[in-house]
Amino acid sequence: MNKQAEVAVAMRGITKQFPGVVALDDVTLQVRRGEVHAICGENGAGKSTLMKILSGVHQPDAGELEIAGQSVQFHSTRDAENAGVAIIHQELELVEELTVAANIFLGREPRTRFGFLNDAIAKRKAQELLGLLDASISPEEMTSGLRVGDQQLVEIAKALSLQASIIVMDEPTSALTDAETERLERTIATLRLQGCTILYISHKMDEVFRLADRITILRDGRHVCTVNKTETTASEVTGWMVGREISEHRFRSQQTVGKCLLEVKDLCVASQDSSQSVQLHNVSFRVHAGEVLGIAGLMGAGRTEVLEAIFGASNSQWQGTISLGGQAVSFAHPSDACKAGLVMVPEDRKRLGIFLNLNVTENISICSLFHAIRNGLLSKKAEEGIVAKPMNQIGIKTPSLTASISELSGGNQQKCIISRWLLTKPHVLLLDDPTRGIDVGAKAELYELIDTLCQSGLAVVLTSSELPELLTLSDRIIVMAEGRVTAEFSRDEANEKKIMTAATLA
Amino acid sequence: MKLWSPFPLVALRRWWPSQNEWSLLVAIVLAIVLTALVDSNHTYFFRPFESLRDIARNSAMLGIFSLGAAVVIIAGGIDLSSGSMIALSGTVCSVTMLALAPTEMMAFKPVGSVVVLIAVLASLLTGFFVGTLHTWLITVVRLPPFIATLATLVGLRSFARALCESSTAVLTPTKSALINVADPAFKVVRDNVWFSVVTFLVLAFFTWLMLSRTVLGRHLKALGGNEQAARLAGIHTENVKWFAYCFGAMTAALAGLFYIANESVAAPVNQGRGHELNAIAAAVVGGCSLSGGVGTVQGTVLGAFFLRVVIDAVSKIIKTGADVYEGLIVGVVVVLAVTFAQGVNGLRHDRRILPGSLGLCTIPVLALLAGSLASMTTGAASGVAAGFTAFIALVALRIWENRSHDKKAQVSNSQ
Ligand SMILES: Nc1ncnc2c1ncn2[C@@H]1O[C@H](COP(=O)(O)OP(=O)(O)OP(=O)(O)O)[C@@H](O)[C@H]1O
Ligand SMILES: [Mg+2]
Repeated sequence: MNKQAEVAVAMRGITKQFPGVVALDDVTLQVRRGEVHAICGENGAGKSTLMKILSGVHQPDAGELEIAGQSVQFHSTRDAENAGVAIIHQELELVEELTVAANIFLGREPRTRFGFLNDAIAKRKAQELLGLLDASISPEEMTSGLRVGDQQLVEIAKALSLQASIIVMDEPTSALTDAETERLERTIATLRLQGCTILYISHKMDEVFRLADRITILRDGRHVCTVNKTETTASEVTGWMVGREISEHRFRSQQTVGKCLLEVKDLCVASQDSSQSVQLHNVSFRVHAGEVLGIAGLMGAGRTEVLEAIFGASNSQWQGTISLGGQAVSFAHPSDACKAGLVMVPEDRKRLGIFLNLNVTENISICSLFHAIRNGLLSKKAEEGIVAKPMNQIGIKTPSLTASISELSGGNQQKCIISRWLLTKPHVLLLDDPTRGIDVGAKAELYELIDTLCQSGLAVVLTSSELPELLTLSDRIIVMAEGRVTAEFSRDEANEKKIMTAATLA
Repeated sequence: MKLWSPFPLVALRRWWPSQNEWSLLVAIVLAIVLTALVDSNHTYFFRPFESLRDIARNSAMLGIFSLGAAVVIIAGGIDLSSGSMIALSGTVCSVTMLALAPTEMMAFKPVGSVVVLIAVLASLLTGFFVGTLHTWLITVVRLPPFIATLATLVGLRSFARALCESSTAVLTPTKSALINVADPAFKVVRDNVWFSVVTFLVLAFFTWLMLSRTVLGRHLKALGGNEQAARLAGIHTENVKWFAYCFGAMTAALAGLFYIANESVAAPVNQGRGHELNAIAAAVVGGCSLSGGVGTVQGTVLGAFFLRVVIDAVSKIIKTGADVYEGLIVGVVVVLAVTFAQGVNGLRHDRRILPGSLGLCTIPVLALLAGSLASMTTGAASGVAAGFTAFIALVALRIWENRSHDKKAQVSNSQ
């Protein structure tokens, strides 16, 4: 084989500007055929933009694109698909009103001899693809009823169904727990054996180092370097990403646990037969002031359901007692919970978090508007004043205060939503997978933030799809499996193995 | 110390038109100038005040309930019932007057200001009731807004007719489908156009204030942008919807009062029929997005004004029977305005107007439309000519587009 054929993708001098930002600046990149090529960078570094150019979503302002030695110009995603490029988008783009199978084959629906839709084949093939990923999703289910993690699996299945020779995965595992991630890794290994080229974006360093052959680092839209995995280390890569070293210091070192702020006793939720939300059986736990309680569990274990029931956001009836600061409460609506000082950061930011029609400031201030009233009217100036503090604290990278939120990178959008809730000065903070899609640097900042918040007497309940994160942050960890609490560990007892065992107890 | 910020300056910055609004302004001026020139009577030159009065009255009336439509659309809903609400409001107002002062009403005499006031309040209250009904149907019964207000679109008009007939049967010697309104209070409103114009502008100002400077307005936009996220952000979405639909119905009720004042009669069979679509069109032309969350008061005001200017222009140019073409004009204006607002980016990625077999079939459709329009307005001969010219032009456009498209494709392949 000559050298030319070994290069699956070549991008030369790619430049892309958006109003107000240079997302990519003269990026040159070569991806070899059959390799897994990881792309790392901070939030807003331009990873997704580069991949969107490769898959025909965006057109570059300058630069050339070559696929298998052939120069190409994509005007649409269809062009890219025809050239054998499939992409799993970071922001999930499924049609909610369609079934899982219909989504997987959207635009390429299998037909019968007479030209009618062949649902049977679609279903069977979808089942096969989902089976490959070990997903317990029925192809006939409505997409609107799926949680993020499941949606992500459907996106992956969709990309696999294209049988593309180049597959771009933009943070495919951000909402997946370790067990599902492992299955995806196995699938990737199979694909690689079949000769697929994979471009892989992730903020999870361990994943990158397990999977990738080579790693490319982007910083502020520029190409920093491309290295072989074997010739580098995780801390070196993060160093290149953020331009400084990130210390792995242990958080939550000295704890001063105060009085019990939130107590949940025998929380039961009956599952509605229409949606497939999980039942909860007798879930009980307590969280004290200044303490972080981690909830571990696989997808579908009921972590989100617990938080939603407490926050008053659940659609189903629940039984049991929830007491906040010693008083029994039962929130019928999230606003009641906010008033009582208990807030939740939802897991699915696109569907449950952001308002695409509002700008960055308005997205952050939406829960604290009453503080921005001057002379009886909303004051934009006061609003921007209120928002400035948490924005600096968390470090949100935005072109301006009034930029549209859709212009921000995924991680920065997530930071906006966290700051929205911090602005309400809560006593109890429920965080449902808060670092989904956040880069290492920002994660460290967020960990520090959680740490400081706890020191000022806040109680935090945290779920995460990443075990290391739970282990770093939590003072105590409860493990859930199929709607039940199966174990509880203190900080010193907990380790990944024990937690995984408890999480797979059924 | 700084209790009063330099309010006018700040307001000016906020009122500063967006690109879409600038183009609407330009389009309005263009339409007026064109009409003044093309119209063979040159009405705009010779009787400017009269023309202005007509346009102002009509725009104000349309504008009042367009604001309601815009608020509902911004909140992520749709209200199809405002035309019927107009009829119902007028009927309720006149029936109330008839019930409280039957002898005066039948003798076309003044009924007294107290009675008028009660009747007006009854109409507005009806608007509130209808808005409440809509909200209940949408949030509790869980009907989609389109269905709920489609039901009231047909239902309310029929209800208004029944109300009119049954109350005239009881209160007057004969059953009637109309109730004459002769009270001087309504005559004053009819004869002084500024009354409706000022009402409209004041309403527009407060709607603008509400949308851009209050918490409620922000919540409306949030609701329209992402309902689930709004609920999780602690917004009582049901209450916000309740406000939006009541605002929609009550502005229509207010407009209904102006309708009976202008026509001196409450006629539930036809009053406001189909006008809900004009209101939605005004909002959409003004930049409201039907998927919710986006839209401004300034845009809606300009949109309503623009629609009325164009309708008036056509009536000036065609002279007789122009009302037949009203719907057609509104349709064309909506298509053009929204296409224009989207800009070139809104078109397909290859930016062709007549692509593929769809484009091929669209050519005769557009040519036929142009030809039949021309023959109906200016005679058969010119109709054939217009249709033929349109056909040739479109075919030429298609050929040109295909050429340049192929060329582009070749370039990108050979690179
Ligand atoms: N549609 C858009 N309009 C304007 N600006 C955009 C748009 N999409 C991305 N940007 C900007 O381009 C830059 C790169 O964004 P990109 O989404 O590629 O980042 P990323 O590396 O994928 O980050 P993350 O890890 O958060 O997903 C950011 O500064 C972002 O604000
Ligand atoms: Mg990204």
